[in-house]
Amino acid sequence: MDNVERLFNEIVKDYSERVYWHVRRFVNSHEDADDLVQDIFLKIWTALPSFRGEAQLFTWIWRIATNETLNWLRREKVRAALRFSTIDAEMERRIDSDPFFDGDAADRALSKAVAKLPEKQRQVFILRYYDEVPYEEMSEILGTSVGALKASYHIAQEKVRASLGEFDGGD
Amino acid sequence: MTRKNDILTPEGYFENLQDRLSQIPARQQPVSTVRRIAPYFAYAASLLVAVMLGNAVLKKTAAPAQDDNWTYVSYLADALDPDGAALYEEDEWYEDGEQDLSEDDIINYLIADGISVEHLNYVNYEEGY
Repeated sequence: MDNVERLFNEIVKDYSERVYWHVRRFVNSHEDADDLVQDIFLKIWTALPSFRGEAQLFTWIWRIATNETLNWLRREKVRAALRFSTIDAEMERRIDSDPFFDGDAADRALSKAVAKLPEKQRQVFILRYYDEVPYEEMSEILGTSVGALKASYHIAQEKVRASLGEFDGGD
Repeated sequence: MTRKNDILTPEGYFENLQDRLSQIPARQQPVSTVRRIAPYFAYAASLLVAVMLGNAVLKKTAAPAQDDNWTYVSYLADALDPDGAALYEEDEWYEDGEQDLSEDDIINYLIADGISVEHLNYVNYEEGY
């Protein structure tokens, strides 16, 4: 086993679970998350020989994961449009029919509110709220300033609160 | 079951996932250029042999005489429909296999072509969907 393979196996051991949870929050389906995690680790394996160590390993892995997830989301949007549907409706359907969802009605409402956020805000919200990634690291992953990320997270929070308010009001 | 707040995964999922991911290097071993292009050479060689054989058989068996009936039918068809459009069914506009596009092919084409979801929705709206 060479050094690259050894490093790859370390990455699998240390990061596969975290990458899975990150992706799962985005795609709202266990099967799709499983497929996407494999694609992400395939990309990591392919790109690993060119990893120079200029960025932190965590940042580098997360950058690949977020790019792959956004590409997936873009494909799903087109797929939904070809079915004369929208990605929001598709995500809502997934959350309602996910056999591995084990939260209460409020958790479900939160997942739906997050799924409705625009791409970038959703990314920031998931990285900060669920993955608990510090703003400085997020800034390296997404290539955006810390100030802009904080503003983006604040707006996302407000939107989620408004959606949850609608949920409370609706009951 | 493993859980993270409100979502679960199947029992033993992460051990299984790590096993599968660890197999990626073995599955993705670099293939030498000669090995990669060898099947194409084999395909090209068999195609060449088939063409040469077919050519030899045709040379021996083909009759030079013209089919007068077919010439007459062609003449009539040209006279009735100079554009020839009526002679063709829609399926004949495509080569074999050209229509076998998967949804993924279409999606990749649309993404590569930069067609936005907003544009698709606009077209759907215009067409009354």
